[in-house]
Amino acid sequence: MSPFRIGLTEALGAPALAMGATFLAFGAAVAEVGLTLSWALLCTATVYGMAGQLVLLGLAAGPGGAVLPAVVAATAANARFLPMSVAIAPLLGRGWKRALALPFIAITPWAPAMRRLPGLPEPDRLAWFLGFALASWTAALAATAAGHLLAPHLPPFLRAALLFTNPLYFGLLLAADLARPGVRPAVIGGIVAAPLALWLGPAWGLLAAGLAGGTAAFLWQRRGKGSRR
Amino acid sequence: MTGADLALALTVAAMVTLRGAGLLLGGVLRPDHPVIAWAAAVSVATLAAFVVLAIAVPGGLLATVPWPARVAGVLAGALGWRLFRGALLPALLTGLAGLMLSWWALG
Repeated sequence: MSPFRIGLTEALGAPALAMGATFLAFGAAVAEVGLTLSWALLCTATVYGMAGQLVLLGLAAGPGGAVLPAVVAATAANARFLPMSVAIAPLLGRGWKRALALPFIAITPWAPAMRRLPGLPEPDRLAWFLGFALASWTAALAATAAGHLLAPHLPPFLRAALLFTNPLYFGLLLAADLARPGVRPAVIGGIVAAPLALWLGPAWGLLAAGLAGGTAAFLWQRRGKGSRR
Repeated sequence: MTGADLALALTVAAMVTLRGAGLLLGGVLRPDHPVIAWAAAVSVATLAAFVVLAIAVPGGLLATVPWPARVAGVLAGALGWRLFRGALLPALLTGLAGLMLSWWALG
Protein backbone atom coordinates (compact mmCIF):
# COMPACT_ATOMS: atom_id res chain seq x y z
CA MET A 1 0.00 0.00 0.00
CA SER A 2 1.31 3.50 -0.84
CA PRO A 3 2.22 5.82 2.06
CA PHE A 4 -0.59 8.16 0.94
CA ARG A 5 -3.20 5.39 1.30
CA ILE A 6 -1.75 4.24 4.62
CA GLY A 7 -2.10 7.79 5.98
CA LEU A 8 -5.64 8.02 4.58
CA THR A 9 -6.68 4.79 6.34
CA GLU A 10 -5.05 5.69 9.66
CA ALA A 11 -6.97 8.99 9.77
CA LEU A 12 -10.35 7.31 10.06
CA GLY A 13 -10.29 6.21 13.73
CA ALA A 14 -11.84 7.27 17.05
CA PRO A 15 -10.10 10.70 17.20
CA ALA A 16 -11.67 11.50 13.81
CA LEU A 17 -15.12 10.83 15.31
CA ALA A 18 -14.48 13.23 18.22
CA MET A 19 -13.10 15.81 15.80
CA GLY A 20 -16.14 15.25 13.55
CA ALA A 21 -18.46 16.00 16.49
CA THR A 22 -16.84 19.43 16.95
CA PHE A 23 -17.25 20.29 13.24
CA LEU A 24 -20.85 19.06 13.36
CA ALA A 25 -21.41 21.44 16.28
CA PHE A 26 -19.65 24.24 14.38
CA GLY A 27 -21.92 23.77 11.36
CA ALA A 28 -24.93 23.95 13.70
CA ALA A 29 -23.55 27.09 15.38
CA VAL A 30 -23.10 28.81 11.99
CA ALA A 31 -26.71 27.97 11.08
CA GLU A 32 -27.79 29.26 14.52
CA VAL A 33 -26.44 32.78 13.85
CA GLY A 34 -27.95 32.84 10.35
CA LEU A 35 -24.77 32.55 8.23
CA THR A 36 -24.78 30.47 5.03
CA LEU A 37 -23.55 26.92 4.41
CA SER A 38 -20.89 28.26 2.03
CA TRP A 39 -19.52 30.53 4.82
CA ALA A 40 -19.35 27.52 7.14
CA LEU A 41 -17.60 25.32 4.55
CA LEU A 42 -15.15 28.04 3.51
CA CYS A 43 -14.31 28.69 7.16
CA THR A 44 -13.67 24.99 7.87
CA ALA A 45 -11.71 24.51 4.64
CA THR A 46 -9.40 27.49 5.02
CA VAL A 47 -9.14 28.40 8.70
CA TYR A 48 -9.25 24.68 9.68
CA GLY A 49 -8.61 25.24 13.36
CA MET A 50 -11.71 24.97 15.55
CA ALA A 51 -10.62 27.37 18.32
CA GLY A 52 -10.10 30.20 15.82
CA GLN A 53 -13.24 29.26 13.89
CA LEU A 54 -15.38 29.51 17.03
CA VAL A 55 -13.84 32.80 18.13
CA LEU A 56 -14.31 34.21 14.63
CA LEU A 57 -17.93 33.06 14.52
CA GLY A 58 -18.69 34.35 18.02
CA LEU A 59 -17.22 37.80 17.51
CA ALA A 60 -17.79 38.52 13.80
CA ALA A 61 -21.32 37.17 13.53
CA GLY A 62 -22.70 38.59 16.78
CA PRO A 63 -24.87 41.69 16.90
CA GLY A 64 -22.79 44.62 15.56
CA GLY A 65 -20.02 42.13 14.63
CA ALA A 66 -16.59 43.64 15.15
CA VAL A 67 -14.27 42.71 12.25
CA LEU A 68 -10.84 43.73 13.56
CA PRO A 69 -11.05 42.30 17.08
CA ALA A 70 -12.61 39.12 15.63
CA VAL A 71 -9.71 38.63 13.20
CA VAL A 72 -7.01 39.36 15.79
CA ALA A 73 -8.63 37.19 18.49
CA ALA A 74 -9.21 34.30 16.02
CA THR A 75 -5.57 34.58 14.94
CA ALA A 76 -4.44 34.56 18.58
CA ALA A 77 -6.64 31.52 19.29
CA ASN A 78 -4.94 29.67 16.40
CA ALA A 79 -1.45 31.11 17.06
CA ARG A 80 -0.38 27.57 17.90
CA PHE A 81 -0.13 26.96 14.13
CA LEU A 82 3.19 28.83 14.20
CA PRO A 83 4.99 26.57 16.71
CA MET A 84 3.25 23.52 15.21
CA SER A 85 4.53 24.35 11.69
CA VAL A 86 8.04 25.06 12.97
CA ALA A 87 8.11 21.68 14.70
CA ILE A 88 6.76 19.61 11.78
CA ALA A 89 8.61 21.37 8.91
CA PRO A 90 11.87 19.38 9.19
CA LEU A 91 9.85 16.12 9.04
CA LEU A 92 8.15 17.05 5.76
CA GLY A 93 11.35 17.14 3.68
CA ARG A 94 13.09 20.01 1.92
CA GLY A 95 12.05 22.05 -1.12
CA TRP A 96 8.78 23.53 -2.36
CA LYS A 97 6.74 20.32 -1.99
CA ARG A 98 6.60 20.95 1.76
CA ALA A 99 4.22 23.84 0.96
CA LEU A 100 1.55 21.27 -0.07
CA ALA A 101 1.11 20.53 3.64
CA LEU A 102 0.40 24.20 4.47
CA PRO A 103 -3.43 24.21 4.51
CA PHE A 104 -3.56 21.04 6.63
CA ILE A 105 -1.38 22.00 9.58
CA ALA A 106 -3.99 21.62 12.32
CA ILE A 107 -4.10 19.68 15.55
CA THR A 108 -5.88 16.55 14.17
CA PRO A 109 -3.25 15.59 11.56
CA TRP A 110 -0.32 17.28 13.36
CA ALA A 111 -0.41 15.32 16.64
CA PRO A 112 -0.34 11.82 15.07
CA ALA A 113 2.13 12.99 12.40
CA MET A 114 4.63 14.12 15.06
CA ARG A 115 4.51 10.58 16.49
CA ARG A 116 4.40 8.68 13.17
CA LEU A 117 6.67 10.57 10.74
CA PRO A 118 10.04 10.04 12.45
CA GLY A 119 9.56 6.24 12.09
CA LEU A 120 8.80 6.42 8.32
CA PRO A 121 11.43 6.49 5.53
CA GLU A 122 12.08 10.12 4.56
CA PRO A 123 10.65 9.89 0.98
CA ASP A 124 7.31 8.51 2.35
CA ARG A 125 6.68 11.15 5.02
CA LEU A 126 5.04 13.92 2.99
CA ALA A 127 2.77 11.44 1.15
CA TRP A 128 1.66 9.87 4.47
CA PHE A 129 0.93 13.30 5.93
CA LEU A 130 -1.08 14.39 2.87
CA GLY A 131 -3.12 11.16 2.92
CA PHE A 132 -3.91 11.52 6.63
CA ALA A 133 -4.61 15.25 6.36
CA LEU A 134 -6.85 15.02 3.29
CA ALA A 135 -9.00 12.33 4.95
CA SER A 136 -9.39 14.40 8.18
CA TRP A 137 -10.06 17.59 6.22
CA THR A 138 -12.74 15.94 4.04
CA ALA A 139 -14.40 14.44 7.14
CA ALA A 140 -14.37 17.90 8.79
CA LEU A 141 -16.06 19.46 5.73
CA ALA A 142 -18.71 16.70 5.61
CA ALA A 143 -19.43 17.11 9.34
CA THR A 144 -19.70 20.91 8.99
CA ALA A 145 -22.22 20.53 6.17
CA ALA A 146 -24.21 17.93 8.13
CA GLY A 147 -24.33 20.19 11.22
CA HIS A 148 -25.49 23.19 9.18
CA LEU A 149 -28.19 21.22 7.36
CA LEU A 150 -29.42 19.30 10.44
CA ALA A 151 -29.52 22.17 12.96
CA PRO A 152 -32.76 23.83 11.82
CA HIS A 153 -34.57 20.49 12.13
CA LEU A 154 -33.50 19.81 15.73
CA PRO A 155 -35.48 20.95 18.80
CA PRO A 156 -33.87 23.87 20.74
CA PHE A 157 -33.00 21.45 23.56
CA LEU A 158 -30.76 19.34 21.29
CA ARG A 159 -29.37 22.40 19.44
CA ALA A 160 -28.20 23.93 22.74
CA ALA A 161 -26.61 20.62 23.77
CA LEU A 162 -24.83 20.45 20.40
CA LEU A 163 -23.48 23.98 20.92
CA PHE A 164 -22.06 22.83 24.26
CA THR A 165 -19.92 20.21 22.45
CA ASN A 166 -17.13 22.60 21.48
CA PRO A 167 -16.35 24.30 24.81
CA LEU A 168 -16.53 20.88 26.48
CA TYR A 169 -14.26 19.28 23.86
CA PHE A 170 -11.63 22.02 24.20
CA GLY A 171 -11.91 21.97 27.98
CA LEU A 172 -11.16 18.22 27.92
CA LEU A 173 -8.28 18.69 25.47
CA LEU A 174 -6.72 21.39 27.66
CA ALA A 175 -7.14 19.21 30.74
CA ALA A 176 -5.42 16.34 28.91
CA ASP A 177 -2.53 18.62 27.91
CA LEU A 178 -1.93 20.03 31.41
CA ALA A 179 1.03 17.72 31.95
CA ARG A 180 2.84 18.94 28.80
CA PRO A 181 5.59 21.49 29.42
CA GLY A 182 4.37 25.07 29.28
CA VAL A 183 0.65 24.27 29.06
CA ARG A 184 -0.39 24.48 32.73
CA PRO A 185 0.79 28.11 33.36
CA ALA A 186 -0.83 29.27 30.09
CA VAL A 187 -4.16 27.58 30.96
CA ILE A 188 -4.11 29.17 34.44
CA GLY A 189 -3.16 32.53 32.87
CA GLY A 190 -6.08 32.34 30.44
CA ILE A 191 -8.57 31.37 33.16
CA VAL A 192 -7.42 34.11 35.53
CA ALA A 193 -7.48 36.73 32.75
CA ALA A 194 -10.87 35.60 31.34
CA PRO A 195 -12.88 38.11 33.45
CA LEU A 196 -11.24 40.88 31.37
CA ALA A 197 -13.86 39.96 28.76
CA LEU A 198 -16.62 40.97 31.19
CA TRP A 199 -14.98 44.37 31.57
CA LEU A 200 -13.83 45.04 27.98
CA GLY A 201 -16.68 43.22 26.22
CA PRO A 202 -16.41 39.93 24.33
CA ALA A 203 -14.60 41.26 21.23
CA TRP A 204 -11.48 42.89 22.72
CA GLY A 205 -11.84 41.10 26.04
CA LEU A 206 -11.01 37.62 24.74
CA LEU A 207 -7.99 38.96 22.88
CA ALA A 208 -6.82 40.90 25.97
CA ALA A 209 -7.31 37.81 28.16
CA GLY A 210 -5.27 35.64 25.78
CA LEU A 211 -2.47 38.17 25.41
CA ALA A 212 -2.29 39.06 29.12
CA GLY A 213 -2.65 35.48 30.39
CA GLY A 214 -0.30 34.00 27.77
CA THR A 215 2.39 36.68 28.14
CA ALA A 216 2.27 36.41 31.95
CA ALA A 217 2.65 32.61 31.71
CA PHE A 218 5.52 32.96 29.22
CA LEU A 219 7.36 35.50 31.44
CA TRP A 220 6.73 33.42 34.56
CA GLN A 221 8.24 30.34 32.90
CA ARG A 222 11.27 32.27 31.61
CA ARG A 223 11.83 33.66 35.08
CA GLY A 224 11.64 30.11 36.45
CA LYS A 225 14.17 28.88 33.87
CA GLY A 226 16.46 31.86 34.58
CA SER A 227 16.42 31.29 38.34
CA ARG A 228 17.27 27.59 37.86
CA ARG A 229 20.39 28.49 35.81
CA MET B 1 -19.37 41.80 1.38
CA THR B 2 -20.69 41.54 4.96
CA GLY B 3 -18.60 42.04 8.10
CA ALA B 4 -18.54 38.26 8.66
CA ASP B 5 -17.23 37.69 5.08
CA LEU B 6 -14.50 40.32 5.53
CA ALA B 7 -13.50 38.89 8.90
CA LEU B 8 -13.28 35.40 7.34
CA ALA B 9 -11.13 36.64 4.42
CA LEU B 10 -8.72 38.45 6.77
CA THR B 11 -8.54 35.47 9.13
CA VAL B 12 -7.73 33.15 6.21
CA ALA B 13 -4.84 35.48 5.25
CA ALA B 14 -3.61 35.39 8.86
CA MET B 15 -3.78 31.56 8.94
CA VAL B 16 -1.73 31.27 5.70
CA THR B 17 0.83 33.68 7.23
CA LEU B 18 1.08 31.71 10.50
CA ARG B 19 1.41 28.32 8.79
CA GLY B 20 3.67 29.64 5.99
CA ALA B 21 5.98 31.47 8.41
CA GLY B 22 6.22 28.32 10.53
CA LEU B 23 7.16 26.14 7.53
CA LEU B 24 9.77 28.69 6.41
CA LEU B 25 11.20 29.09 9.90
CA GLY B 26 11.27 25.32 10.55
CA GLY B 27 14.90 24.31 10.63
CA VAL B 28 15.97 27.93 11.20
CA LEU B 29 14.40 28.61 14.62
CA ARG B 30 14.37 25.98 17.34
CA PRO B 31 10.87 24.93 18.46
CA ASP B 32 11.76 26.29 21.94
CA HIS B 33 12.78 29.76 20.65
CA PRO B 34 11.24 32.53 22.84
CA VAL B 35 9.03 33.89 20.01
CA ILE B 36 7.64 30.41 19.35
CA ALA B 37 7.15 29.72 23.07
CA TRP B 38 5.33 33.06 23.48
CA ALA B 39 2.99 32.35 20.52
CA ALA B 40 2.20 28.91 21.97
CA ALA B 41 1.45 30.39 25.43
CA VAL B 42 -0.85 33.09 24.00
CA SER B 43 -2.67 30.46 21.94
CA VAL B 44 -3.31 28.18 24.94
CA ALA B 45 -4.36 31.11 27.16
CA THR B 46 -6.81 32.42 24.52
CA LEU B 47 -8.33 28.96 24.22
CA ALA B 48 -8.59 28.57 28.02
CA ALA B 49 -10.27 31.98 28.33
CA PHE B 50 -12.65 31.06 25.49
CA VAL B 51 -13.67 27.81 27.21
CA VAL B 52 -14.25 29.54 30.58
CA LEU B 53 -16.35 32.30 29.02
CA ALA B 54 -18.34 29.92 26.77
CA ILE B 55 -19.30 27.84 29.82
CA ALA B 56 -19.66 30.58 32.48
CA VAL B 57 -21.23 33.43 30.45
CA PRO B 58 -22.35 31.99 27.09
CA GLY B 59 -24.30 33.92 24.50
CA GLY B 60 -27.08 32.85 22.14
CA LEU B 61 -28.95 29.61 22.55
CA LEU B 62 -26.42 28.20 25.04
CA ALA B 63 -27.40 31.00 27.44
CA THR B 64 -30.84 29.37 27.72
CA VAL B 65 -29.24 26.36 29.45
CA PRO B 66 -29.32 27.04 33.24
CA TRP B 67 -25.85 27.42 34.77
CA PRO B 68 -26.20 24.40 37.12
CA ALA B 69 -26.81 22.22 34.03
CA ARG B 70 -23.71 23.66 32.31
CA VAL B 71 -21.61 22.97 35.43
CA ALA B 72 -23.08 19.44 35.61
CA GLY B 73 -22.10 18.93 31.96
CA VAL B 74 -18.48 19.92 32.71
CA LEU B 75 -18.33 17.70 35.81
CA ALA B 76 -19.85 14.74 33.94
CA GLY B 77 -17.32 15.28 31.11
CA ALA B 78 -14.45 15.24 33.64
CA LEU B 79 -15.88 12.11 35.24
CA GLY B 80 -16.20 10.45 31.81
CA TRP B 81 -12.60 11.41 31.08
CA ARG B 82 -11.45 9.57 34.21
CA LEU B 83 -13.79 6.58 33.75
CA PHE B 84 -12.81 6.04 30.12
CA ARG B 85 -9.10 6.73 30.77
CA GLY B 86 -8.74 9.79 28.58
CA ALA B 87 -10.81 8.56 25.59
CA LEU B 88 -12.18 11.75 24.08
CA LEU B 89 -15.41 10.62 22.43
CA PRO B 90 -16.94 8.72 25.41
CA ALA B 91 -15.94 11.60 27.73
CA LEU B 92 -17.63 14.08 25.40
CA LEU B 93 -20.81 11.99 25.23
CA THR B 94 -20.85 11.58 29.04
CA GLY B 95 -20.57 15.37 29.43
CA LEU B 96 -23.42 16.00 26.99
CA ALA B 97 -25.56 13.36 28.72
CA GLY B 98 -24.82 15.07 32.09
CA LEU B 99 -25.89 18.43 30.68
CA MET B 100 -29.13 17.11 29.20
CA LEU B 101 -30.11 14.99 32.21
CA SER B 102 -29.53 17.80 34.72
CA TRP B 103 -31.33 20.29 32.45
CA TRP B 104 -34.29 17.90 32.28
CA ALA B 105 -34.15 17.38 36.08
CA LEU B 106 -34.18 21.15 36.61
CA GLY B 107 -37.33 21.32 34.51
